[in-house]
Amino acid sequence: MKHLMTGLALGALLAATPALAQDTKVIGVSIPAATHGWAGGMNYFAQEAVERLEATYENLDFVLATASDPAKQVSDIEDMLATRNIDALVVLPFESEPLTGPVQGVAESGAWVTVVDRGLSQEGIEDLYVAGDNPGFGRVSGEYMASKLPDGGKIVVLRGIPTTIDNERVEGFQAATEGTGIEILAMEHGNWNRDDSFTVMQDFLSKYPEIDAVWASDDDMAIGVLAAIEASGREDIQFVLGGAGMKEMVKRTMDGDAMIPANVTYPPSMIATAIEITAVGLVSNAPVSGEFIIGSVLVTPENAGQYYFPDSPF
Amino acid sequence: MTATQTPPARAPRRGLPSMTVLGPILALLVLLAIGMFLNENFLSHANITNVLARSAFIGIIAVGMTFVITAGGLDLSVGSMAAFIAGLMILVMNAALPALGIGVPIILLGMATAVAAGLAAGFLNGILITSLGIEAFIVTLGSMGIYRSLVTWLADGGTLSLDFGLRTFYRPVYYDGILGIGWPIIVFAVVVILGEIAMRSAVFGRHCAAIGSNDQVARYSSINVNRVRLMTYVFLGLLVGVATIMYVPRLGSASASTGLLWELEAIAAVIIGGTVLKGGFGRVWGTVIGVLILSLIGNILNLTDLVSPYLNGAIQGAIIILAVILQREGRAGG
Amino acid sequence: MSEPILSLHGVSRSFGAVEVLHGVDIALRPGRVHALIGENGAGKSTTMKIMAGYQPATSGTIRLDGQPVTFADMAEAEARGIVMIHQEFNLAEQLTVEQNFFLGRELKKGWLLDKAGMRAVAREYLDRLSCAAHVDRVVSGLPNSDKQMLEIARALSRDARVLVMDEPTAVLTYAETDILLEQVRALRAHGTAILFTSHKLDEVKAIADDLTIMRDGDVVYSGPAADLDEHQMAEAMVGRDVSNLFPPKPAAPAPQPVLEVAGLAVPGYADDISFTLNRGEILGIAGLIGSGRTETFEGLCGLRPHRGTVRIHGRPVQIRHPWDALAYGLGYLTEDRKTRGLLLNKTMRENLTLQSLGAFSGWMIDQKAEEAALTQAIGAFDIRAGDRAIKVGNLSGGNQQKLLLAKTMLAEPDIVVIDEPTRGIDIGTKQQIYDFIRALAAQGRSIVVISSEMQEVIGLADRVLVMRLGRIAGEVSGDRMTEDDIVRLAMGVEGQGREAAPMEAR
Repeated sequence: MKHLMTGLALGALLAATPALAQDTKVIGVSIPAATHGWAGGMNYFAQEAVERLEATYENLDFVLATASDPAKQVSDIEDMLATRNIDALVVLPFESEPLTGPVQGVAESGAWVTVVDRGLSQEGIEDLYVAGDNPGFGRVSGEYMASKLPDGGKIVVLRGIPTTIDNERVEGFQAATEGTGIEILAMEHGNWNRDDSFTVMQDFLSKYPEIDAVWASDDDMAIGVLAAIEASGREDIQFVLGGAGMKEMVKRTMDGDAMIPANVTYPPSMIATAIEITAVGLVSNAPVSGEFIIGSVLVTPENAGQYYFPDSPF
Repeated sequence: MTATQTPPARAPRRGLPSMTVLGPILALLVLLAIGMFLNENFLSHANITNVLARSAFIGIIAVGMTFVITAGGLDLSVGSMAAFIAGLMILVMNAALPALGIGVPIILLGMATAVAAGLAAGFLNGILITSLGIEAFIVTLGSMGIYRSLVTWLADGGTLSLDFGLRTFYRPVYYDGILGIGWPIIVFAVVVILGEIAMRSAVFGRHCAAIGSNDQVARYSSINVNRVRLMTYVFLGLLVGVATIMYVPRLGSASASTGLLWELEAIAAVIIGGTVLKGGFGRVWGTVIGVLILSLIGNILNLTDLVSPYLNGAIQGAIIILAVILQREGRAGG
Repeated sequence: MSEPILSLHGVSRSFGAVEVLHGVDIALRPGRVHALIGENGAGKSTTMKIMAGYQPATSGTIRLDGQPVTFADMAEAEARGIVMIHQEFNLAEQLTVEQNFFLGRELKKGWLLDKAGMRAVAREYLDRLSCAAHVDRVVSGLPNSDKQMLEIARALSRDARVLVMDEPTAVLTYAETDILLEQVRALRAHGTAILFTSHKLDEVKAIADDLTIMRDGDVVYSGPAADLDEHQMAEAMVGRDVSNLFPPKPAAPAPQPVLEVAGLAVPGYADDISFTLNRGEILGIAGLIGSGRTETFEGLCGLRPHRGTVRIHGRPVQIRHPWDALAYGLGYLTEDRKTRGLLLNKTMRENLTLQSLGAFSGWMIDQKAEEAALTQAIGAFDIRAGDRAIKVGNLSGGNQQKLLLAKTMLAEPDIVVIDEPTRGIDIGTKQQIYDFIRALAAQGRSIVVISSEMQEVIGLADRVLVMRLGRIAGEVSGDRMTEDDIVRLAMGVEGQGREAAPMEAR
C-alpha cells in the first residue's frame, strides 16, 4: 500500500509527460453535490483539477457531473457512458450499494474506472482506488484525545450523517480510546451540519453538568459546538477536536487557540489527486493502477502551516 | 322550515372545547410531561430558553406559512430562501465593512438587506402564482432549487462567514435579550401576537380564509383575490427575512446546508396546529404549538438515551401523525 | 293495485336531538310514477336517502317485496335494484363521459379495459335520452343538462327496479325535460317503480300516478295524483293560501334612468347589448339556458372581460373588477349560490359580511357589529336557522338564498342584478323572496332579475328583455308579457309553440 500525501510526487510525473497528439479522450467525473463543507471543498478541488488538466492536455476532455442523491448519480454515469462515450470514469460514490452496478457497467465497457473515497460493495471492479483512511481518521483522533486527557475524562461525540464512513471513523475512535479512562457520555448525529450540531451540543450541555472535551469529528460540526459552548458560558470543556482540516479551523490551531488545539486531516483534495492520476494513466503508459490510501494526519500548532490553504473554500 | 338537507352541525358543547382545539395542546402537554419525567434539567431555564430560541426561526416562518396555506397556497422555497438571504446578508455586510466599520449602521444595513430580499423573493413567488396562474407547488419548487443553487454559488460550494469582529458585535441579537428572555424569543412572540390578531380579527385573515375556502365565492364577493394571495407570499417572504436576521448572528455563517428542510418543518408545524392543508381555515396559535412540538421531540431525544439516534426520524414522524389524529374526533364520518 | 316493491312504514329519523321525519309511510309500486313533493326542508331528501340506503332510519320498517330489510349502505341497496339519482351531481369532473358512465364497474377484456365496448354501451344509453354529449368529452366541460342526462343514463343502465330521482329536471331546458319525461314513461311501461321530486308542479301533474305531499317531516297527503290540481298541491305543501304568489305591481313612475348600457359585448357570449334601467324598476331578463344572460351581466359587473359603454346615474364608468362595480353601487347576486355565492363551511356571520368587511373594521373586525348585522338580516329576511353558529352548508336552499340576498344588500347597492332568485327553493320561500325584491324596488333601488322560470319573470318584472344567442331578441311589457310571446322571442321563431322548437345552440 502506497501512501500518497499530496500530489507532489505526481507533479514530477506530470511534468515528465509531454502532451501527445492523439485522439481526444474523455474522462467522466461524477461526484456528490456541495451539500456540506467538506463536499464543497471536494467540488472546488475537482473543478480546479479539471480546468488545470484540460489546459495541460489538449487531447483530454472532461465531463463533470454533481449529483444530489444516489439515483441522480446513477443517471449521470449512465448518460456519460451512453452519450459521451467516456474512456475513463472518476467516481466518488454517494453510497456504495446503488453505485456498484452502474460502475461495473462502465468497467465492462472497457473504460478505466477510478473510485474515490468510498469503496464499491464488490471488489475488483475499479482499476484505481484513491481514498482517505476513515478508521485511521478515527484512530488518530482517539489517540490524540487520549494523550490530551492522560488521566481520563468525560467526553461527548457528534457523529456525521449515518454512513459507512461515519461508522468506520467512530469504530476507529472507540478502539483507540478503549482502556484509556476516557468515558464517552453520549453520541448523537450532528449530520456534518453546523445548525444540527449546535442544537445537539446545546442539549448535551443541558444533560451533562460536566464535560471535559468534545470530539466533533468534523470542522463544520465543531463550529456549531463551539457556538453552543460559548453561549452557555460553561468553563468545564477544555477543548473541541474537529476534523477534515477546514482552513478557518486550521488557522485557529495555528494561532494557538486553546479550544482548538489540533485537527485531523481528511483532505477533500483527494478527488484532484484521483483525477490527475487517471489523466496521466490515459495519456501515458505510467503504471497507475492499484490503491492509494491518503492517511489522516494530526495537525498541531507546530505543523499547521503546512495544512493551511487560504484560497480553498474549505 | 328546518335545516334538514344534511345533518345539522354537531351542537357545540358549551364550556368544553372540541378535540380540534384540545388535540395539539394535549400532545404538547404529553411531551412536556415525558420530558420532565425523563430529565430533571428539562425544565431548567437554560433548556427552555434553548428550545424556544431554536424554535424561533421555523416559528416565525411558520406564522407566515399559516397565512399562505389558509389562503389555499403553499411555499416550498422558504428554507432555501432563508439560506440565500443569509448568504446575501453576509456578503453585503462584509462588503460594507471597510466603508462603515463595525457599528450599528452596518447591522442595520444587514437587516435592511434581509427584509428587502425577503420581500422581493416573496413578491416574485406571489406574482408568478397569481398573475401567471402557475401552481404554487411548481413555482416554489422551482424557486427552492434556484435559491439553493444561488447560495451554493455565492459561497463557491463552501461556507460564507461573517467577518469575525462583525460577528462578535452582532452576536447579542441572538444570544442576548431583555430580562433573561432572548431576542429571538421576543421577536417570535411579537410575530405570533400580530399574526394571531391578523388571522382572527383583521380583514386580511378573513379574506385569506374565504379565498382558501372557495376562491370563486371570494371573487364574486368583490374581494381582490390575486392581491390577497400575493400579500400572503410577500408577508411570508418578509418573515423569512426577519427569521434570517435572527439566524445569522447565531453561527455567523451560511452555506448550502443552511435552512435545509425548513420548509417541510414549517408546513408540518402549520398542519399539526390544526390549519387545513387545502386551505379555508387557519390558526396561528396552533402553528406555535406545532413548532414547539417539533422542537421538543428533538430536544427530548437528545436529552435521553431511550432510543437509537437512528430512530429519531421515526419518533418524530409518529408524533406528527398522532398529533393530527388527535384532532380528528370532530370530523369522523363527516 | 299491484303489491308495493319498496315501502316505508312509520319511518322516523333523528339527527341528534332533532327529529326530522315523524313516522312516514310511503309505498312504491311497479309500473307507477310516484311524486314526492314538499317545501325545502319538509323531509323529502331524507326520505329518499333512507329508501336508497344512504341513511338508516331511526325507527320504523323498510320493506322490499314485502320483507323487512335494512340496507347497510347504498351499495347494498343498489345491488338489490334500488338506484338513486342525486340533485348534486355525483360525477368525477376530470374524467370523460364514458369513464364516468362505467365508474366502479368497468368492462374488461382479460385484464385490460374494454374501451370500445364501454364507448358503445354509453353511446347507446345517451342516444336513448337524445343526449348528444360525446362519450370522450371531459365532464367538467359539459353543460348541466348533459351532466344530468349522464346521471340518468348511468342509472338506467343498472337495470333498476326502483329508480329514485331527486329533482331531475331542475337544471334541464324544456326540450330536455320532455325527453326525460318520455324516458320515465318508457321505464314505467317496463314495470319500473319510480319516485321523483320536483318543484315544478305542472310536471308532477303531467306524469305522476301517485302523490305524497310532505310538510315539516309529516305526510300531509297520500293518494292518486289525479285527485288534486296544481293549486291544491301548492296549498297542501305550504299549509296556507298561495294564490297570490307575486306581489302586486305598482303603477310605473316617470322613467328616471339609473343604468344605461350601450353596445356591451362579452367576447364569446354576448354582443351588442343595449338597455336602460330606471329607478325603482324591476327589469326581467328571459332567455334559454346558454343564451348569454348570465355572462352578459357578469361582464357588466366586472366578473368577465367586456367592452361597451356603461353609464350609472348619467356618468360614464369603467368597471374592470367586481370591486369597481360595488364602488359604483352595482351589486350582483350569482345564480350559483353553492359554489360562487356562499362559503358553505363558514358561519352565517362570516358569509354575511364578506362583501362589506370594510364597513365593519378599522384595524380589526368589529365582531359585535357583525353579530348585530346578522341579527338584523335574520329579522329582515326571515332566515330560519336553529343555531346562529351553524355552517351555511347545513342551511336549507331557501335559507341560503335569503342569506345570499342579505349579503348582497349589506353592501347597500343602488342597482342589484339578481340571477335566478329562486332556483331550487320551495314555493313558500319563493313568495317571500318575491316580496323582498319588490320591497327593495319600492325603496327606490333598481333591480334586474334574470330567470329561467317564465312565470317568475312575468309575475315579478315590470318589463322583460328576452335574450337569444347572445343578443337582445326583443322587449315585452304590459299586455305582451305572456309566456307565448317570450318563448317565441327566445326561440327565434314566429307563430310556433315551444314543443316544435329546436333546442338552443350552445
